[in-house]
Amino acid sequence: MAIIDRFFSRRRFLGGSAMAITASALGMPSVRTARAQAATFKAGVITSLSGENILGGNLTKQGYDLWADAIKAKGGVEVAGDRFKVEMFYGDDQSSPATGADAAERLIVQNGVDVLFGPYTSGSTIAVQPICQKYQVPMISGSAESPNVWKAKPEFNFGIIPAVDTTSGLSLGVLAKLSNPAAKTVAVISVNEPFSKETGEGFRDGAKAAGLELATYELVPPEGDLTPVISKIAALNPDIVAVGGHEEVLINVVKTSKSLNYRPKALIMHYGITNPAFAQALGADADGTTGVVVWLPTVSYKDDLFGTAKDFAQMAQKKLGGEPDYTAAACAASGLVLGDALKRLGKKPALTPEDRVALKDAIAETDIQTFYGPIKFEKDGPHYHDNIQPVPVLVQIQGGKTVAVGPKEAAAADYIYPLPAWK
Amino acid sequence: MDLFLQTLLNGLLIGGVIATFTIAFQLAFGVLHVIDFAVGGWVVLGGYLGYYVTAWLGLDGFIAIPLAFVLFGAVGYLIGPVLYNVRNSRTARPELMALALSFGLFTLLRGGMLTAWGFNTRNVTTTLSGESLAIGPVTVPLIRVVAAVFAAAIAGGLFLFLYRSRYGLAIRATAENRHNAALMGVNIGRLSANVYGLYAGITAMAGVLMGAIYSVNPEVGLRYTLFAFFVAVLAGLGSVEGALVAALLLGVIEAFVSTYVGASYSLLAIFTTLFLVLLISPRGILRRGL
Repeated sequence: MAIIDRFFSRRRFLGGSAMAITASALGMPSVRTARAQAATFKAGVITSLSGENILGGNLTKQGYDLWADAIKAKGGVEVAGDRFKVEMFYGDDQSSPATGADAAERLIVQNGVDVLFGPYTSGSTIAVQPICQKYQVPMISGSAESPNVWKAKPEFNFGIIPAVDTTSGLSLGVLAKLSNPAAKTVAVISVNEPFSKETGEGFRDGAKAAGLELATYELVPPEGDLTPVISKIAALNPDIVAVGGHEEVLINVVKTSKSLNYRPKALIMHYGITNPAFAQALGADADGTTGVVVWLPTVSYKDDLFGTAKDFAQMAQKKLGGEPDYTAAACAASGLVLGDALKRLGKKPALTPEDRVALKDAIAETDIQTFYGPIKFEKDGPHYHDNIQPVPVLVQIQGGKTVAVGPKEAAAADYIYPLPAWK
Repeated sequence: MDLFLQTLLNGLLIGGVIATFTIAFQLAFGVLHVIDFAVGGWVVLGGYLGYYVTAWLGLDGFIAIPLAFVLFGAVGYLIGPVLYNVRNSRTARPELMALALSFGLFTLLRGGMLTAWGFNTRNVTTTLSGESLAIGPVTVPLIRVVAAVFAAAIAGGLFLFLYRSRYGLAIRATAENRHNAALMGVNIGRLSANVYGLYAGITAMAGVLMGAIYSVNPEVGLRYTLFAFFVAVLAGLGSVEGALVAALLLGVIEAFVSTYVGASYSLLAIFTTLFLVLLISPRGILRRGL
């Protein structure tokens, strides 16, 4: 005990501690200098990395990372003749909007990010928007599709994918043009739940612009049986049946229609048919179903970083082991928006709070062509800060595979219309 | 007129479909005195069995129906005594404890299915999937007819079993007064296990048909639990024969409201019916419930 006391006296301990603190204090500026020399922009990705939306969450993360990897390979983002690297930080919303808001706040306060890349779900995006507003940090959302995100007129959030009400509405116009003999009437089934209802409303509101007469608009509860609704529509016999719903309802629409021996000339569904599980569940009965996407690897767009849409798809295939869908593409394009805005802003890292507000203004002025398509954000109206430029591409399941059928410049196969009767 | 006839048929067939998973639910309540939240879980498990029988073994979905009865009947037989012991424990409010246990079981089944089989929606294919029969202006979906016949057969079979066999007498005696039944020599614990096994087996069989008529994923179980509960309230809790009548009534209401008023009002119409029945006849439409 005496020996220990001699070696570890209070005086020695305090002296040693003081030296250690002094040494670390002296060391810290050198670390800061090192960081300042290799100044980087900091971007935070907030998405679902666990919970029920983990698959979609990873899709968004992969999209954002594809841009981060591509820009890293170029040496970083170009600002005033120099290139600056981009450091990525990740926050998990655990598939819950409230947790998403907390994670976004942590990315801003603890990691000091200059910009955020938005969540997979529209719900989380809506929850994160007030955090962006509070800390004046811009966010670029590569996935949110609900029009409710943009109805709130978010000052600091920008969306790459057109809201679902615009794409579903426009898609009816594309379908009407492809149909031969020309389709005249449409019936809309809309499931009474978020996203599905908005999709259905898009179909309903887009019918007039597409030159179609609305035969009926049926809002159905998610728990309801579809036989009465399908029987009613069969009695009206419209040319097109358009459905706003998630894949379970879409599968049930096809099954119920077949069990009632009713097949419209065209059956269009917005979301879900590109999920392989749809065709897997229905087998040959899935054939002929039409869907809507905002991007495909076959579109003819290109940019300087990724090259053509096909080049991007090949790069993604190499890194991710599968063909990218439009969400991954839109997330990668979010990075292109950031790179362009930083270049125009001309401010080197680290950005001050004033610079971040200026960055937001620069993003708002975006007007670029990318492999994903044109990107320009709305400055007013119900789609404020959403990019509604891309024209939706119609896809149809043919022989179990999803192929682009319209508009004509994007088509890889002829559109099957009218659909043959059930065998 | 054509649409009217089609709507009436749709309604009766929807009722038949709902009845498939509510008849045994009523029997389990009558004996165990537990509102089993897990009913939707058994339906979905049956649906998954049907899917794997078709997808892995390449067999017709109908083959899965007897398999579902054997497999989930055995599982139910093992779970039954646990539920019985909780329901008859000496803790305060054992009926609430049993309700909580069945809710926990439902959550466990749902979570287990999500982990094991993911979120994707599956389909059960049978020889009658998508097949229909045209009778005049009316189209009859054959798979739904199978479900309605199945419900009628189960209801008839249970009725005969309960009223024409000694064991059925013991079940009815237990449902009426379990203490007196025990005094008469009925082994209540074993009878509860058998009844829960019978219920789980029949409900899983109905699940195969649900997978063939609709589709199956772990999230749809809650829907079946809710509809079983709606029918039970309308029929009077525990009334097996009332379940068939109540399911048909709910089906016809849903079909007519969806066709002639609007599908978004169908649940409102169902809830209004439940409210009125509870107000006017709390023991159910046949006044035979508890």
